[in-house]
Amino acid sequence: MNFSLVAEAWAETAPNVAAGAPKLDPLHHFQVVNYVKLAPFGFDISISNSVVWMWLAVAVAFGLFRYALRAPTLVPGRMQSVAEAAYLFLDGIVNDVIGPSGKKFFPGIFTLFFFVLFCNWLGLIPGSFTVTSQLIVTGTLALSIFVLCIFLGVYHHGWKFLGFFVPHGLPPFLLPLIVPIEVISFLARPVSLAVRLFANMTAGHTLLGVLFFFTVTLSWFGAWLPFGFTVVFSGFEVFIGFIQAYIFTMLTCVYLNDALHLH
Amino acid sequence: MITEAYASAGAAGKEAAASGLPQFESSVFASQIFWTFVSFFILLMLLRKYVLPAIETILDARASRIADELQKAEAGRKEAERLQANFQGQLVAARQTAAKMMEEARLDAARMKEQAHEELQQELTKKKNAALVEIEQAKHKAMEEVRNVVVELSMHVAEKLIVKSMNTEDANRMVQEAMTNLGESQARLH
Repeated sequence: MNFSLVAEAWAETAPNVAAGAPKLDPLHHFQVVNYVKLAPFGFDISISNSVVWMWLAVAVAFGLFRYALRAPTLVPGRMQSVAEAAYLFLDGIVNDVIGPSGKKFFPGIFTLFFFVLFCNWLGLIPGSFTVTSQLIVTGTLALSIFVLCIFLGVYHHGWKFLGFFVPHGLPPFLLPLIVPIEVISFLARPVSLAVRLFANMTAGHTLLGVLFFFTVTLSWFGAWLPFGFTVVFSGFEVFIGFIQAYIFTMLTCVYLNDALHLH
Repeated sequence: MITEAYASAGAAGKEAAASGLPQFESSVFASQIFWTFVSFFILLMLLRKYVLPAIETILDARASRIADELQKAEAGRKEAERLQANFQGQLVAARQTAAKMMEEARLDAARMKEQAHEELQQELTKKKNAALVEIEQAKHKAMEEVRNVVVELSMHVAEKLIVKSMNTEDANRMVQEAMTNLGESQARLH
């Protein structure tokens, strides 16, 4: 195999690539497509591919748990062990980060983790749709958490919640400098929470898309490299999907803890 | 080359000409916000009603089972310890009894030995005494017999002397001799 041969082969395929270019858009699979238009009272609740895969994530998460716990026994089977381990894993996070007062948030945290996790993982199925690659979805979750945190802070601490923006032991003359920084960092929380998950999912899937397009556009002797890399990267994306769900859940716990206990 | 290809395709196609990520297409935001909330809360309700209680039940059951088992094991251990102490006591008592019995047996044996020895001694003494009596009797009997023989002999001698009509002197001498002989034989018998 020499380079002239590769270049020659590429020269042959290049027009095809150009012809197929609109179809080979690596961002195409982020396109939300409405299947059913629904707009009762002028409010758009259309069923799109994004919505369908959200439902599927809910169904798969719930179905797997129900399957794992179809006949719970004192000596657990494999699936039951995994379900219990998941429970204890999240219970550990909530307990470590929030403490005993986090008990009432546990179902929500548990749901959040598995909702995000299965949205991430289902997106890896070829031809599927990655719900968490939609900024509006991660943004909705992040903003809801942010609003909940503000509500909890005000509910539990009243005006003292504003003390959240004043770090302890701060010399008074630094207040005009630090307080705006604290306010901005507080407001940045939902943005970073939403963008981190959305960007990770989008970047990973875009890269996978690009690699697959290389695979189909390159001739057989050049295709194995990007194709091999997609295999490796798909495995890596499974790991990323878990890590991002974990980070999202973990930060939610940290924010809830801040709202409940200030700092 | 690929950028060229895309650029040319972009100029032709309208899809690629659309700027930026599809995620920023705001026309689909409202429905996604709505369904994100709905999906999340449906999953929350389902998990809270059917999944979390099931896991909690089984975890609690296992925890209480383990606590029970530990308690039982502890009770068993205590019982075993009690039994062992009990057994130890019995063992000591048995050892003491055995030692006492051994001592008694030893004393018994010593007493019986002494008794046997004493009885033997008595028996021997009795036998010795009986033997002495018998010897004495035999001696007497023998003396009697000897005397009878001497008397008979004397009578024979006397008869013969009378027959030979010996004088008085001879007769005296002969009696004397006979008496001496008798004395000698008596001494020999002793």
